[in-house]
Amino acid sequence: MARHTENKSNPATRRKFLRTCGAFIAGGVALTVSGITLKKLETEEPDMFWQIDPEKCIFCGRCETDCVLPVSAVKCMHANKVCGYCDLCGGYYRSSVKELNTAAENLMCPVGAIQRKFVEEPYFEYTIDEKLCTGCAKCAKGCNSFGNGSLYMQINQNDCTNCNECSIEKVCPADAIKRVKASGAYDLKES
Amino acid sequence: MKKYLVLLIFTFVTVTGNGENRFPKPDFESGYRYPEYTYEVPDETLWISLDLVALAGLMGVVAYSVLRKRKRMPVLIVSAISLAYFGFFRKGCVCSIGAIQNVALALTDSSYAVPLSVLLFFMLPIAFTLLFGRVFCAGVCPFGALQELLNVKNYRIPRVIAKTLEIIPWIYLIVALLLAVTHSAFIICRFDPFIGIFRFGGTVSMILFGAGLLILSIFTGRPFCRFICPYGAILSLFSRVAVWNVKIVKKPCINCDLCRHACHVDAIRPPYSNKIKENRTVGVRRILIYLVTLPLITLVGAVTLRTSSDLLSKTNKKVQLYDIVTDNNEQNPKDENYELEAFLGQGGKVEELALEVNEIKQKFKLYSTVAGAVIGIITGIMLINLSLKRTRKNYEIDDAACVNCGRCFEYCPQNR
Ligand code: SF4
Ligand code: SF4
Ligand code: SF4
Ligand code: SF4
Repeated sequence: MARHTENKSNPATRRKFLRTCGAFIAGGVALTVSGITLKKLETEEPDMFWQIDPEKCIFCGRCETDCVLPVSAVKCMHANKVCGYCDLCGGYYRSSVKELNTAAENLMCPVGAIQRKFVEEPYFEYTIDEKLCTGCAKCAKGCNSFGNGSLYMQINQNDCTNCNECSIEKVCPADAIKRVKASGAYDLKES
Repeated sequence: MKKYLVLLIFTFVTVTGNGENRFPKPDFESGYRYPEYTYEVPDETLWISLDLVALAGLMGVVAYSVLRKRKRMPVLIVSAISLAYFGFFRKGCVCSIGAIQNVALALTDSSYAVPLSVLLFFMLPIAFTLLFGRVFCAGVCPFGALQELLNVKNYRIPRVIAKTLEIIPWIYLIVALLLAVTHSAFIICRFDPFIGIFRFGGTVSMILFGAGLLILSIFTGRPFCRFICPYGAILSLFSRVAVWNVKIVKKPCINCDLCRHACHVDAIRPPYSNKIKENRTVGVRRILIYLVTLPLITLVGAVTLRTSSDLLSKTNKKVQLYDIVTDNNEQNPKDENYELEAFLGQGGKVEELALEVNEIKQKFKLYSTVAGAVIGIITGIMLINLSLKRTRKNYEIDDAACVNCGRCFEYCPQNR
């Protein structure tokens, strides 16, 4: 490298000198990169979590299959204040249902995660048992096609391992999954 | 196990007459109250602090034991701890290797900020490497630790093959940066061969790939670190100029060749005396050749990647969507086409998408040209480095490749 310069000192000291120069350059680069990234943190709140935008989700079912976890971190959530408390619930019963009884073949949820409780004539309260839910989005699809859309999909932040690249995000057809700030960790349907 | 600090309390506004509701909100007469849900956001501050302390602490232990105490045992213990903690317990996200992409994105995208922890995950190993060499790789990196602990045999990969394969991490790094800054994909995370093993789950192909690498690492040292890891490539640069590096022996070397055989990443170069004295004209000609070939290789790299920029841009979701949306006529309409459904459902306009995609493709063209040129320069420098014959009196450690594992000085008879 420095062979053609006037540097007549022996190769060992020359190498040492180059090394020191290199160390300073390397340190400088590292400091600059940290500086720029740190500076940004002053104005920008960092994106911490992955979450589904319920307005965009089309209930394709990929959430169930594409999460890296054995049981997806995506769960169905229920906005009671949106729910119509219907007896014939599009999320609870399959659309092909003939008799309204709670036999498994009539129910939408393949794992029996939706609980139904009689409130008063003619209303029923529906609750999701998130421990059972596999995030298949079948119920939410039913509810959104036939009901008020009170069943919707969210990533449960306690289950999610917060992958650096959410593998559902990569396949979500609706581009519904986004990095969000800690203050918006859930995108809840409220009304 | 997790501590919750932030409790998101579900409070809503009562809606009246929301036109979208197919069914009216019920009027309860029995005094029914809506259930209240609380959704907790895990407060990871404690764990992340622990991660960072462990990261720095373990690197410190390795540096102390390898550089001062010159013992390998602590490195193995650190490897086991890191494998258990960072690997199987914390399940390795976000890791220093993947953090490259976040930092790159933060540097280029004005709206993206990386959390401090991710920055530290990226920077701490670099800082330590600048001081002590690749102490992170020695055993703090769970991937390195896994391979280190499995390694029993040390079959040497022929130097030609090894040197050729060593270009892969650089190409991988540059392409990963390219795809990260274009918001296309985090390929380092997607093609992470070991994360599936830590999580006991993942795609079959990645787990098979990881298992293959692990079997390979029984017979030869750290195939992933040497021939794939992009972070290792970055660290090798800093290690080259580190303030303190491992020395094999402080007493005179007796040229027994034991250390070279002990090194599992082939980082020890035997003594070599460059007999051919180069005169001035030959030297000048050699430098001229470098001056011609380097730009040439750079150009070749730039042109190659520029021509494949269209292909590379297909990793971008928007580009994929555009392709799906535009050639839907040929597709069987009975196929479930969720992408199209979502696109139309969100009121997307093909023309707007086309404009966006065009912009992305333009960006790809520019960035991949730069990426290709950088790959070219790196290849060129590597070739030049290979052609340089440097006189070495003793067995010397190639600081760039050395992962501070501590084998060589344990084997050296002069250290006994
Ligand atoms: S992948 Fe996307 S569209 Fe499909 S269910 Fe999940 S969030 Fe909804
Ligand atoms: S139908 Fe699917 S998404 Fe809905 S509660 Fe059951 S498992 Fe969860
Ligand atoms: S970030 Fe990972 S764990 Fe969380 S939902 Fe996405 S794939 Fe599943
Ligand atoms: S080279 Fe990469 S995988 Fe190997 S120990 Fe270093 S950072 Fe980890």
